Amino acid sequence: MSKRISSYSIERKKARWGWIFVTPTLIFFSLFSFYPIFNALYTSLFKKKLLSLKPPDFIGLDNYIYLLKSPDFWNSIRATVVFTLGTFIPLLIFSLIFAIFVMSRKRFQNFFQIAYYSPAVLSSVVAAVIWLLIFDPRGLGNQWLNLIMNSPGIDHKWLANSVMVQMSTMLVYFWKYVGYFTIIFIVGLASIPQSIYEAAKIDGANDWKNFWYITLPLLKPTTILVSIISMLQCLRTFSTQYLFTQGGAPLGPINVITLNIYHTAIRDHRIGRASAMSVILFVIMLLFTWVQFKSSRADEISY
Amino acid sequence: MSYTLQRKRNKINRQSLIIDIFIWAFLILAALFILAPTIFMFTASLMPANDILKMPYRWIPKGFYWQNYWQGIRGNDGSFIYIRNILNSLIVASAVAATTVIFSALAGFGLAKYYFKGRTLVFMIIMATMMIPFEAIMIPLYLVTTKLGIQDSYAGLIAPFLVNAFGVFLMRQYFITFPDEILDAARIDGASELMIFRTIILPNSIPVIATLAILTFKAQWDNLLWPLLVVQSEEMKTIPLYIVKFMGEKHTDEGAMMAVAAIASIPILVVFFKLSKYFLGGAALYSSRKG
Repeated sequence: MSKRISSYSIERKKARWGWIFVTPTLIFFSLFSFYPIFNALYTSLFKKKLLSLKPPDFIGLDNYIYLLKSPDFWNSIRATVVFTLGTFIPLLIFSLIFAIFVMSRKRFQNFFQIAYYSPAVLSSVVAAVIWLLIFDPRGLGNQWLNLIMNSPGIDHKWLANSVMVQMSTMLVYFWKYVGYFTIIFIVGLASIPQSIYEAAKIDGANDWKNFWYITLPLLKPTTILVSIISMLQCLRTFSTQYLFTQGGAPLGPINVITLNIYHTAIRDHRIGRASAMSVILFVIMLLFTWVQFKSSRADEISY
Repeated sequence: MSYTLQRKRNKINRQSLIIDIFIWAFLILAALFILAPTIFMFTASLMPANDILKMPYRWIPKGFYWQNYWQGIRGNDGSFIYIRNILNSLIVASAVAATTVIFSALAGFGLAKYYFKGRTLVFMIIMATMMIPFEAIMIPLYLVTTKLGIQDSYAGLIAPFLVNAFGVFLMRQYFITFPDEILDAARIDGASELMIFRTIILPNSIPVIATLAILTFKAQWDNLLWPLLVVQSEEMKTIPLYIVKFMGEKHTDEGAMMAVAAIASIPILVVFFKLSKYFLGGAALYSSRKG
């Protein structure tokens, strides 16, 4: 602590440089994060049309009231929730299984990691375009499913049936991100000290007991992290649904909130209403982030 | 007695062998399922359209049907606009990666190595932006860009992504472990703070810079929503927008579609296989985000 005696002015100078280094980022965030979110809150209280020269009318909470009464918006909530639950639960389970299985191998660990991760590298537009072809009535989707179910010649209507089209979007998302979460689980697994397993081995634990009483409890923070990240990502899904509707799939079953915001603002020019939707989406995601924060604090594990 | 022990051991061995085979089979089948669509894209891009949707699908193309690639690059109208759009994607993604690295490194350095009043508050404010999803602010951002008159331009495409909180967090975490003694030694030698940043900090953080640059580049390469809002002209479209447009055109057949998708994927896949450790490291770094 001799530094403190050396000179007060050096500390002052350093403090100034600290500010200089963070200022560009702070300015950016005030302009491109904080201003827009407050603007969205503000605009959501107005009846505002895109491209309209008329000053917007203040209508209070009417936009929110309208949305809460609108079956179209509730359908979007339903589509988003169904998609989120239907995607993140399989993602969580399978990425955990993949990670444990890959880590249990002595060879080819790297190969499997790269192979599983590779779809995450492709852009989501490319992913959607590929799967649109796979889901063609004559495509690979029907061929594979008929092979598994031993039901030759049946068209499963991947894109036409309202249940199937939801499953299809989930499958695309699952395919694209399962490797990504596998890697996160592998990192979590690698951070569990090997000595714990050795101790358990001396106590006569088998693989199954190891998994159930050591791996799973110690992996809890990673599991919570993965489930929250994947949930947040699923709530924000846009590209797959957009591309699928562009490719001829019905809009209704997969009209997720982000898609609805886009259509409301850009096609219908209703900026106020779209802002209200944005705010609702923001609040939902804030809740999830809060849960993440809470749970990651409560689950600090020391080995 | 030793006989029964032997039998028991054999039984355990056989059991673990079965489990072993099961795990291998599971992993290989999963790998096949995950790789199949990408392989499908590449094989289909080399086939004439009526071979692609043939049942059953033949995984090995009969010959190389290069016309798909020609049609994809040329476009249905012969304008070769795809090349321009690929360039746009490259420009936007590179610019965003560069600015993100620079601003994140600066802010991360400031937060990690300088003690000033309100430092914790500044850090918390920056982290708080992580909770604001882009989808919730895209409409106000769109209105701002139109007001500034930078819609349908590189500036408009790049501006909302100049830096992100995750990058700042990543850099800060990395710089915190950097020994203060080296920085102080440089100060005694008369180096300015900017010089320290340029000549000591940056050259010693290549791995984390590479990871952040790659992740940011990838995210922009993938970005559909924002360009969809701000781009109007064909010249300013990025790859995702071109693909959407190309898909909707009447003369597009399945082969050309896959060729366009393959062209969009080849650069990023090459980078991925070359630098897979940074991608995989990136996912790992992301997992350290908590707290």
